[in-house]
Amino acid sequence: MGEVIVITSGKGGVGKTTTTANIGAGLSQLDKKVVIIDTDLGLRNLDVVMGLENLIVYNLVDVIEGKCRLKQALIRDRRYENLYLLPSAQTKDKTAVSPGQMQKLTEELREDYDYVLLDCPAGIEQGFQNAIAGADRAFVVTTPEVSAIRDADRIIGLLESNNLKKMELIINRIRVDMVKRGDMMSVDDVTEILSIPLLGIIPDDEQIVIGTNQGIPVIGMDSFAGDAYSNICRRILGEEIPFLDLSRGQSILSKLTNLFRKN
Amino acid sequence: MIKRSSVRIAKERLEALVTSDRVHCKPKEYDLICHELYRTLSKYMEITKEDFQVCITRSAIHIQLTGEEH
Repeated sequence: MGEVIVITSGKGGVGKTTTTANIGAGLSQLDKKVVIIDTDLGLRNLDVVMGLENLIVYNLVDVIEGKCRLKQALIRDRRYENLYLLPSAQTKDKTAVSPGQMQKLTEELREDYDYVLLDCPAGIEQGFQNAIAGADRAFVVTTPEVSAIRDADRIIGLLESNNLKKMELIINRIRVDMVKRGDMMSVDDVTEILSIPLLGIIPDDEQIVIGTNQGIPVIGMDSFAGDAYSNICRRILGEEIPFLDLSRGQSILSKLTNLFRKN
Repeated sequence: MIKRSSVRIAKERLEALVTSDRVHCKPKEYDLICHELYRTLSKYMEITKEDFQVCITRSAIHIQLTGEEH
């Protein structure tokens, strides 16, 4: 029996889809059978981030409405062993699917897959309710900004009241140079407010943009963010991996400057 | 040139926002709640403003008195 994990955030644009794509690819590289589901009806993106947009025949709503079999809608990613995508519908809206239907779907998928990852839409309306309906575990993605952290706090509260108690935090787009000069909240500042277990920290990395341009998850490239995502995947499997030393990406000059800078 | 770190401002704003989201009230009202709690408690025990602290987590309100034995 596989695990169903929802990747959520409240605020849009903090990296839910990129995180879903990379964790999906990463877990499949660790020999797990993975399906990633785009639950954002009307605004599908996960297929584009994965570079699989030209392979879509059927989608999530077709499966729910019984227009095709589940297997027909799943797109196999040829670059990875055992990675499948269930794309969202571009022409339907949130009301086309109900939480009960999503729960039934995830129950069916967990029979065959080790991990079922749900990419949640932004917001707290029905799309969010659909995405969390069948989940056992939630990854809350945030960035070190006031608005993103505030929304993450609300999402955590909503998950708790929906009895989804297994939650972990992913802090995305950390810039160590800004943290050092006191212009960006640090990992500790964020965890102090949100107080849920930390699963990983992702540095702000231009490779993410380059990868998304090409439809390639960064986890397959030699990059700082890619390493951070592989660490997250290994932690999901229960390994104890220390958090990345984020100053690795810095030049020697800026390291020296930081050395002499007084806080 | 001394510049105030923007993180300190961010944290102060965020704490006010998060607390008022959690108790579903305006920051001003939250201050009033804390004040009333203090007044009520001080009727029954000797406390000072310094050792009285209210902390709101997502699921509970904790009142902490410093020097309190745990």
